[in-house]
Amino acid sequence: MSITHLQEQIKQAAHEKQRLQIIGNQSKVSLIDNHTPLEIGGYTGVTSYDPAELVVTVKTGTKIADLQQELAQHNQMLAFDTPDYGDSTIGGSYACGLSGPSQPFFGALRDFVLGIKMIDGKGQALTFGGEMIKNVAGYDVARMLVGSKGLFGVVTEISLKVLPLMEEKTYSMEMGQADAIIKMNEMAGTALPISGCAYYQGKLYYRLIGIHPPQSAMPEDNTIWQKVNPFRPEISGKQKLWRVSIDSMHPPIHNTLLIDQVGARRWIVSEHKPDVSHVDLWDLQDKKRRPSFDSHPKITDIKKGLKSVFDPYGIFH
Amino acid sequence: MNVVQELLQSFSREQIIVDDEQKAPFECDGLSAYREKPLAVVLPASIEEVQLALNICRKYKTPVITRGSGTGLSGGALPTQDGVVLGLSKMNRILNIDPLARTAVVEPGVRNITISQEAAPHNLYYAPDPSSQVACSIGGNVAENSGGVHCLKYGLTVHNVLAIKVITLDGEELTLDYKDDGIDLLALLNGSEGLLGIIVEIKVKLLPKAEASQLIMAAFHKVSDCANAVTNILKSGIIPAGLEMMDQFSIEAAEAFAHVGYPLEAAALLLCEVDGNQYQVEADTKKVSSLLNENGAYLLKLSQNDEERIALWQGRKNAFPAVGRLSPDYYCMDGTIPRNKLAYVLDQIDDMSKRYELKVANVFHAGDGNLHPLILYDAQIPGELEKTEQFGAEILKLCIDVGGTITGEHGVGVEKLDSMCQQFSAPEIEIFHQIKQVFDPENLLNPGKAVPTLHRCAELGQMHVHHGELPFAHLERF
Ligand SMILES: Cc1cc2nc3c(=O)[nH]c(=O)nc-3n(C[C@H](O)[C@H](O)[C@H](O)COP(=O)(O)OP(=O)(O)OC[C@H]3O[C@@H](n4cnc5c(N)ncnc54)[C@H](O)[C@@H]3O)c2cc1C
Ligand SMILES: Cc1cc2nc3c(=O)[nH]c(=O)nc-3n(C[C@H](O)[C@H](O)[C@H](O)COP(=O)(O)OP(=O)(O)OC[C@H]3O[C@@H](n4cnc5c(N)ncnc54)[C@H](O)[C@@H]3O)c2cc1C
Repeated sequence: MSITHLQEQIKQAAHEKQRLQIIGNQSKVSLIDNHTPLEIGGYTGVTSYDPAELVVTVKTGTKIADLQQELAQHNQMLAFDTPDYGDSTIGGSYACGLSGPSQPFFGALRDFVLGIKMIDGKGQALTFGGEMIKNVAGYDVARMLVGSKGLFGVVTEISLKVLPLMEEKTYSMEMGQADAIIKMNEMAGTALPISGCAYYQGKLYYRLIGIHPPQSAMPEDNTIWQKVNPFRPEISGKQKLWRVSIDSMHPPIHNTLLIDQVGARRWIVSEHKPDVSHVDLWDLQDKKRRPSFDSHPKITDIKKGLKSVFDPYGIFH
Repeated sequence: MNVVQELLQSFSREQIIVDDEQKAPFECDGLSAYREKPLAVVLPASIEEVQLALNICRKYKTPVITRGSGTGLSGGALPTQDGVVLGLSKMNRILNIDPLARTAVVEPGVRNITISQEAAPHNLYYAPDPSSQVACSIGGNVAENSGGVHCLKYGLTVHNVLAIKVITLDGEELTLDYKDDGIDLLALLNGSEGLLGIIVEIKVKLLPKAEASQLIMAAFHKVSDCANAVTNILKSGIIPAGLEMMDQFSIEAAEAFAHVGYPLEAAALLLCEVDGNQYQVEADTKKVSSLLNENGAYLLKLSQNDEERIALWQGRKNAFPAVGRLSPDYYCMDGTIPRNKLAYVLDQIDDMSKRYELKVANVFHAGDGNLHPLILYDAQIPGELEKTEQFGAEILKLCIDVGGTITGEHGVGVEKLDSMCQQFSAPEIEIFHQIKQVFDPENLLNPGKAVPTLHRCAELGQMHVHHGELPFAHLERF
């Protein structure tokens, strides 16, 4: 697979008024009717990596697991704990913008993005950002497109900041939900080297990195974080899974299954949309597009405007 | 009625400046080589007043130049003759500090350092610390995506801002939150240099203060040894809280200014701070010290207490004014390069310095590859400013050539417009203009800054050719 080939495919689609759907490894999305798949899953490999620069540049069809493995050989890692649903690609994760329990401490996926190469809806190959940790030339398109879900163009390469691989230890304490929310926030305000803090089935879990003082809490297996993130609960009947992003100190919400990110992310199982801001439907059954909830019609307008900048002929689903 | 008359009618006399003499402090920012007097300066004290000023300016199609503290070094807040400066210094209240949630909500005119001072009783602080932090505003920090010594470990402004309120040109108030779904508008506004909207409220992340911090100062006889030490520290798995390097000239200047005990005979000085809990800091200090020794440091000094640590940083933090005392004028560059090119780039700058016959002091954020060559010149000598600017542009070109970028933290402003033509291709610049159009179709917010016109790039012949496709194929000149 080559960039020129992708460019041709896009230019042709624009010419023939075809619609394209960008596909990574299809761990989530299913094909939409009347759309031609634009596959990026075959475009794989690390294009440049110098561990001392703390930066890796990778083709976006590369599987997360493969990338992590390559980094681990140099004692480094992707620090945003992005969930891997089996064969997820790094491009798919970028397009979905998902980050795990370490987000409040190290940052979200977008915080590690330094630059991208992409092809827009006119078939133009574009570069934004680069391999520098600091770079403020031009608008930050590379970070802006995190979460753009394949609607703006195909991202072909990503440069990411990486961090040293860290030794992790997990501990737990039993307590009620309301107490846990306060306790989590208190802990995050101390000098403890925390890299994850969640509440699940009556227990507060926290994960420490590097050298730290002895803990009185129960030692736990690190694999608990795979339950927290990725998260695939059993859901029955008409119930749906909702992801709520909220202020970390927000009091308990009804039907909460899991609290992650020091209280800033709540997973709710219920038939109806929870009555708070920043809710996403996280429907594992329904593989169609999720509805999005913007806080202001002007923001929706701006997003539409930006979409037409990158995809003027509307070829990307 | 014209725009100034209507502004005069709508704002109290303390909030609007039309008198030529009183306008003088607003005619430039930190890049004082460029000056221009605006039509008027308006100093709103609330979100409603920002909206009011914008509505009036929009009605008369008058450009609006937002200004924080005016410490910008790329001319981002430079007024235009036909424009109004919107100064946000009166919007300087801390609205809320929530110690448990570790957040602060502040107005844009709040000085960077004030946030950490106010958070200190809760054992919290705001991490991004540009050297200008005693003066610069948090609104300006967001507009420039500023960084400082702490960036390598704790991130730039964009990593520490949780939400902002923005007023768009048509007066709408929008909240952009990192929790929003879909494309990341909050990230887009960071570093947008006042071109997309006016930032009127900012919610920032506060971090717990580290239990312990240790500064390790290392002196080298060879610049390349120092550069290698930087590489090897980062490869070893330690991310220092600060990793700064100075060349001999900067060391001399800083020592003469701050008297902190820097070794004057060193070719390069490295300041490395590790932080964390007591146990971690002890382990990291040992590891860094032995790495420095292995990489040829001839002198190591460990700060014995916090006072000494802060004093040793003072030399570095005052390096700009210190160099400023040695020359009538200096020009501060801001390029970023891959760290493994450090020694090579410094050599090249040295060669250029001889060629241009202008002295250069190098102070930089070694940990993140952000260079700040300070070119010393005398504006009184005819032609010397132009020569200096040419020298600066050549340094930026070198940064691009080794895979870096033309600005790591000071922004493009008016200063680096031409260098933008070298870093970006025509279609990329075109995309930037279209993004601006989405927010500001009439081009009234800080026009002429940050993104060059394609025409300007073509004039300069500095548009690089991407994938063999000629840019501006439709223009006759090609
Ligand atoms: C609509 C949607 C709903 C989701 N819901 C869930 C959920 O309910 N549960 C869950 O566990 N995970 C969900 N995810 C997350 C997703 O499975 C993971 O983030 C995964 O990492 C995606 O990787 P993939 O390679 O399988 O991508 P795919 O499933 O192939 O694609 C995911 C999205 O990314 C876009 N995309 C992929 N590669 C690129 C690229 N290179 N450039 C531009 N765009 C690209 C696609 O167009 C698509 O919108 C959802 C994702 C999406 C988009
Ligand atoms: C001695 C010295 C040292 C410095 N060190 C550093 C450093 O270490 N790191 C670093 O990053 N920078 C540094 N700077 C540069 C400068 O301090 C920063 O760029 C700072 O963020 C500018 O803030 P300000 O409030 O002074 O903004 P201004 O200079 O007033 O404005 C800068 C730009 O931001 C826009 N702007 C300002 N406020 C708003 C707002 N509320 N909404 C929308 N747009 C706005 C303006 O239009 C302009 O384009 C230094 C400057 C000096 C003089």
